[in-house]
Amino acid sequence: MNPIDPRVHQALDGEISPDSLPPELRRQVERLEGAAALLARVPELGVERRVMASISRPAPTRVRRLTRWLVTPHSLVLRVRPLWSVALAAVAVLFAIIPVRETGPRLGQEEGIAQFVARFPGAQSVAVVGSFNDWAEGSIPMEDQDHDGVWRASVVLPAGTHEYMFVVDGERWVADPLAGRYVEDDFGRENSLLIVRPAHR
Amino acid sequence: MSIRSDPSDPEVVARVLGGDQEAFGILIRRYEPGLLRYATRMLGSGDAAADAVAEGLVRAYRHLASCREPARLRTWLYRIVVNRCKSHLARHATRDVSLEEAPPMADPADTEAEVERAEQVALVERALERLSPEKREAFILKHVEGMSYEEMAVVTGERIPALKMRVHRAREALLEALEEYR
Repeated sequence: MNPIDPRVHQALDGEISPDSLPPELRRQVERLEGAAALLARVPELGVERRVMASISRPAPTRVRRLTRWLVTPHSLVLRVRPLWSVALAAVAVLFAIIPVRETGPRLGQEEGIAQFVARFPGAQSVAVVGSFNDWAEGSIPMEDQDHDGVWRASVVLPAGTHEYMFVVDGERWVADPLAGRYVEDDFGRENSLLIVRPAHR
Repeated sequence: MSIRSDPSDPEVVARVLGGDQEAFGILIRRYEPGLLRYATRMLGSGDAAADAVAEGLVRAYRHLASCREPARLRTWLYRIVVNRCKSHLARHATRDVSLEEAPPMADPADTEAEVERAEQVALVERALERLSPEKREAFILKHVEGMSYEEMAVVTGERIPALKMRVHRAREALLEALEEYR
């Protein structure tokens, strides 16, 4: 990276007049000021309605905020003395060589885990409803922890075929575009079909 | 005939804190363009920028009572949005550049001057993308948002000498990138 003549910085900081610079340096000032002017264009975006809708809802409770913090990934920096590093490594090796019991949800003989993934950028909430929860909204909320618009939920379901849909923002019912299989319901809508296979065979 | 001027930031803040929720819309309309411009330039994506600004403004509303200097509300709001953008960049190693965000194609109805301007904007945006987030932040706050070094120090939490050095490095890097794209 080539350093700029200090007079260019002084001119850009308003400490001296650009007119006092030699033509080559004045051209550099104009090029940077021109770039800034081009970047000053305001994008055609708006968030007012979205923000006003959000603030009219009650703020999340302390419990909800704590829950959210607990399930959100955080980076931790651990600084230890070399002696403690050796001790920690020894403990880690012990854990690695001693067999531990399998963790996770206990599944029955005729149960499996269903994972729901859907992309709804800008949605405030997404839930799964289906034949397995009597189409009750709110019993299986999906989560978008990193706010990238991809919502996820994992639930244990009885093995077999289930119908389901997503409920976006509590009002929009949407079939899963990735389901691959659909069936028409009594209201003329297409429900997504899910086949859950038993985890233990 | 009396002319009603726009209410000042401290007046609007007092109204919001007094329970007039709708008054917060005045502050949104007042600062939304600059905040969205900053976030778009930082993140390279309109969607990500809108998310960062919306989250920042909701956060600002919820913590408005903690704004100790309502007269300096602008720098307080920028500080919140700058931090939202930093969080976004930390979560996403690469910038969100999608086809939607690509510079608009020239319309046959555009004048020659408009087409040329669009090309110039695209060139400068490409050059800006090559800067590190710290340098990009420094250049945008200083030259696009027109902040003083004192305001930048409040917004970023950095010391003024460090910011001056960062702005100098950003100018050098941007000028070099612009020269390459000529």
